[in-house]
Amino acid sequence: MTQYLVRRLGQGLVVLFLVSLLTFFLINLAPGGPSSLVDISTTVAERNARYALYGLDRPVHERYVAWLGGAVTGDLGTSINQGLPVSRLLMQRLGATVVLALTALVLAAGFGVLLGIVAAMNPNRWPDHVVSTVATLGMSVPNFWLGIIAIIVFAVELRWLPASGIVSIGRGADLIDRLRHLVLPASVLAFGLMPNVVRVTRSAVLETKATDYVRTARSKGLPDGKVMRKHMLRNALVPITAMIGLITTVLFSGSVVIESVFGYAGIGRLAIEAANGRDYPVILGVTMLAGTVVVVVNLVVDMLYAVIDPRIRHG
Amino acid sequence: MAEVLVRTASAPLPRRSRFLGRVLRQPLGLVAFTVLVLLVLLVVFGPAFLSHSPTRTNPLQTLQPPSAEHWLGTDELGRDVFARIVHGGRVSLSVGLFSMLVGLFIGVAVGGSAGYFGGRTENVLMRVVDTFMAIPTFFLILVIVTSFGNHPVTIVFTVGLGFWAQMARSVHAEFKRFKTAEFVEASRALGSHHLRLMVRHILPQVMPQAIVLATLGVGWSILTEAGLSYLGLGIQPPLASWGNMLQNAQAYLFRAPVLAVWPGLFIAITVLAFNVLGNALRDVLDPRG
Amino acid sequence: MKVRGTLFRALVALLFALGAAVATAQDADTSAVLNLATNADPTLNPWTPGAVIESNLINTILFEQLTRYSPEDLTPSPMLATSWQAEEGGLAWVFELRQGVVWSDGDPFDAADVAFTFNDVVLNPDLGAQSASQFSAIDRVEVIDDHTVRFVLNEPFSALPYYLASFAGIIPVHVLGEAENPLQVASFNKGIPVTTGPYKVAEFVPGSFVRLVPNELYWAGEPKLAGMVFRIIPDLNTQVAEAMAGQLDVVTRLSPQNVRGIESTGALEVLRQSQNLFFFVAPNHDDERLADVRVRQAMTMAIDREAMIQAILDGYGEVASGPVAPMLGALFNGDVRQYPYDPEAAAALLDEAGWTVGPDGVRQKDGQRLSFYMPTGQFGDLVPATLLVQQYWQDVGIETDVQVMEWNAYIQDVVLGRNYEVTLAWWSMPPTADVAPYFSCDAAQTGNNIPNYCNEDLDRIMDEGRAALTLEEQADAYGRMQELLAEELAYIYLWWPDILTAKSVRLQGFPEITANAAFQHSFDWYVTAR
Repeated sequence: MTQYLVRRLGQGLVVLFLVSLLTFFLINLAPGGPSSLVDISTTVAERNARYALYGLDRPVHERYVAWLGGAVTGDLGTSINQGLPVSRLLMQRLGATVVLALTALVLAAGFGVLLGIVAAMNPNRWPDHVVSTVATLGMSVPNFWLGIIAIIVFAVELRWLPASGIVSIGRGADLIDRLRHLVLPASVLAFGLMPNVVRVTRSAVLETKATDYVRTARSKGLPDGKVMRKHMLRNALVPITAMIGLITTVLFSGSVVIESVFGYAGIGRLAIEAANGRDYPVILGVTMLAGTVVVVVNLVVDMLYAVIDPRIRHG
Repeated sequence: MAEVLVRTASAPLPRRSRFLGRVLRQPLGLVAFTVLVLLVLLVVFGPAFLSHSPTRTNPLQTLQPPSAEHWLGTDELGRDVFARIVHGGRVSLSVGLFSMLVGLFIGVAVGGSAGYFGGRTENVLMRVVDTFMAIPTFFLILVIVTSFGNHPVTIVFTVGLGFWAQMARSVHAEFKRFKTAEFVEASRALGSHHLRLMVRHILPQVMPQAIVLATLGVGWSILTEAGLSYLGLGIQPPLASWGNMLQNAQAYLFRAPVLAVWPGLFIAITVLAFNVLGNALRDVLDPRG
Repeated sequence: MKVRGTLFRALVALLFALGAAVATAQDADTSAVLNLATNADPTLNPWTPGAVIESNLINTILFEQLTRYSPEDLTPSPMLATSWQAEEGGLAWVFELRQGVVWSDGDPFDAADVAFTFNDVVLNPDLGAQSASQFSAIDRVEVIDDHTVRFVLNEPFSALPYYLASFAGIIPVHVLGEAENPLQVASFNKGIPVTTGPYKVAEFVPGSFVRLVPNELYWAGEPKLAGMVFRIIPDLNTQVAEAMAGQLDVVTRLSPQNVRGIESTGALEVLRQSQNLFFFVAPNHDDERLADVRVRQAMTMAIDREAMIQAILDGYGEVASGPVAPMLGALFNGDVRQYPYDPEAAAALLDEAGWTVGPDGVRQKDGQRLSFYMPTGQFGDLVPATLLVQQYWQDVGIETDVQVMEWNAYIQDVVLGRNYEVTLAWWSMPPTADVAPYFSCDAAQTGNNIPNYCNEDLDRIMDEGRAALTLEEQADAYGRMQELLAEELAYIYLWWPDILTAKSVRLQGFPEITANAAFQHSFDWYVTAR
């Protein structure tokens, strides 16, 4: 087990190195430069001064080595456009994204598992069809479109919920206020993720339902609900856990768009701002952070497998 | 989204005619298939029958309601919305299909080689796959499109790149499973080359699931192009795509919300149809799912 | 009769002033906090490279300048300077500074701050300060005494007091003087800066909001609001949605399409402000087909600019006859050659220039086709405007190959690289008629003269304008400049757009003339009680 863990961690580091290499050279191929360099009225003299100021006059490989040297010691550099250390920017934004992502994950997992069970208990009857249609719809609608429609309906017309932001100004500690701000973005994100959870739950439950021991339990006259709780869900947990691991990466992707629509100050929006403003250190910082999260989550998911289902052995 | 397309285990390969018959016996699958056929007919043959150009602007006739002349009205620059939906559909469906093909091709090639050869090849190739899986797809596409510009071909390739790693993983596992199968061993004993073994013997076994993933991948690619358009990085005007129509409609959301309805509806219906068809295919190929 | 009229007017004015004062005292809601929006995290230093649209208005409130625009006619009026005058035939300007001004940390403001801002920051080429090039005529700033400074110039620069009112905030030497790079002090730019404005920063939550409170040390007394909050909302639709939900009191740079929605709430009104800003199609004068003035004139006449303004700006704009906007009053000359929409005349002029319609419908001459590469950037209305122009030109036999580029790529390739034949963009300038940075031979090829237009007669007239010290002399020189520019069509002028700002109907004391002037007078803002 320890040996396996060490090997996986090693692989993770290799992956992160490749991520940084790929990202660094790609973004430096991009035309333009940091936002102060591409302001339409910036003159040549101003532009040259800023190039030198930001160290962009050095060759790309030299800059990469310098960046890597810093990154290894935990220094991710300084944002060109914001003048702040990248690690500080990431910390400022990470909390908000984690809260949003976890809320969406809980919503998607909660409703997804529930609907999946409902569908599996009534295979090929109307509850199954309704669930599958709603679920498929979730992954068929552009999420920014859904977000904007949600804002118009719930914030502008009905005025039930705030349209944007994380918290109302001056009410920083108000939990209810924070939750109200979370409802729309988290729901829109969750709506896009839920279909996969529904689908996996449904097939996992269907599969277990067909196994011998469930049939045996049922033939012994145990009520359906009890059979469900005692045997089926436990077995269904394996694929569901795998699914939730995969969803984490998607959450990062989804948050890029959703955070822009809802003016939500998280990592996703930082990524967009950095990409548009060619803020090279920030782009790298965000990708590295996202890459680390994905690597770690995958590792944890694999560990969880072993806990949930001791039959799984790692080769 | 590509990352969450479920890994499917393999099932015995059904005979082709029976297979299609079983798909079409699924009522939802049949509906989805019909919708897609109609859409393809519309975008392939529709333009020949249109009396309006999708790019002809007319600032004196903007935001017109539907009429006999303009079936779906006109947009913010006075262009015929129906003509743009038809031409835009051509672009969006092409982006979806070609991106999927790019993803499928790279995914099968990389995943297949890794699974078949094993050892060091597998180790190196799968780390590359892991790398692409570890960069959230949207970031990857964002970085590439800002770097290489938004030419339609670039967009097709980048969207495909956002999708191949998942395909590779799935194909990798299958190749690994089948490379020791009896019929493969038998063929190998008869002296078949690697390439022949991979293409002629293993690939057909893997293809059914690849088709499922690919079907879902088309829908995902269309959605991704729309998302890119929201960020201004998708297919660019004067070429119309459903994604950039939706983006143009953003500025008029409070003034003429109907502009956002049409492309949104066509995206939703198309992607829904691909997803339903994909799910139906999966049910047929692999009831466990 | 005349005396009585004057007296009457004075009385009325007095009554109004009294009334306003009373209304202010009685009806002002001093507990009101104003909610505004900006599209990204601002950088709280007006000179930091990259501090642009997201930072400009908040910095205008925080960092006072030597001068500010009069809300009546946009002439420079006192702010941190109380008076100024040119010396040595316009080669030096002396500014008297206001007494009794203190920074928000309690330190007094004096001449050293002004000298630091210009000598050590703006004029230091290594720092690449934002819009430093606008001040390239300044050689140095000399401190005469604590409250007097002298700007020593390299060349006459009659527009100096105008430029000093345009995003030229003074920054504190006692805070930033020791910094290695005074433009990159994070605790200042992204934290709590030291400022002289009527409001100061109390809290900056990155990505969320910047909260301002009254500066109790302000030289003109205590301002009339309990505070302001700049919320950071990147999506413009979301800004409008927030405004319609009653969560914003001021929305700047409102898009014309959203005016009706905003006004339908009844809580907000939309102001039509101006700015010295013109949209244009730049013809690349290095291209010999475009070097022929008849071609440029025909291209202008082929465009129905009125219809474009209706379609794109919902009518909120005016056809431009040149670069200088009418808001400049005496310096504006509208009596110049006009090019109303006339496709037949355009076609005739092209025929006359030898460009006749070829078999493919595109005009040609000596084997050359009248077909242009027309790149454009993803920004605001540039793409739709480009598509409309493309259609108009196609109608008279001019073909264009439109390429939409991502903004960074556009700047790099088109604006800096001049890799285009025609391109549609805009210039936003300080409210002066001094447009040399966009038209002079010096600025061609490398500077902001994107079309690479060069005309020595024009340069001579613009130099006259720069050297002219009286308004009459300036109006004369710049009047002739505008005539020449309309004749020559260095750029194909499209329109001067209205700048739309939505504000709460309860917000008063908000100058309507330009957004910049409005924010320079934030001290006068107050909110009436409900």
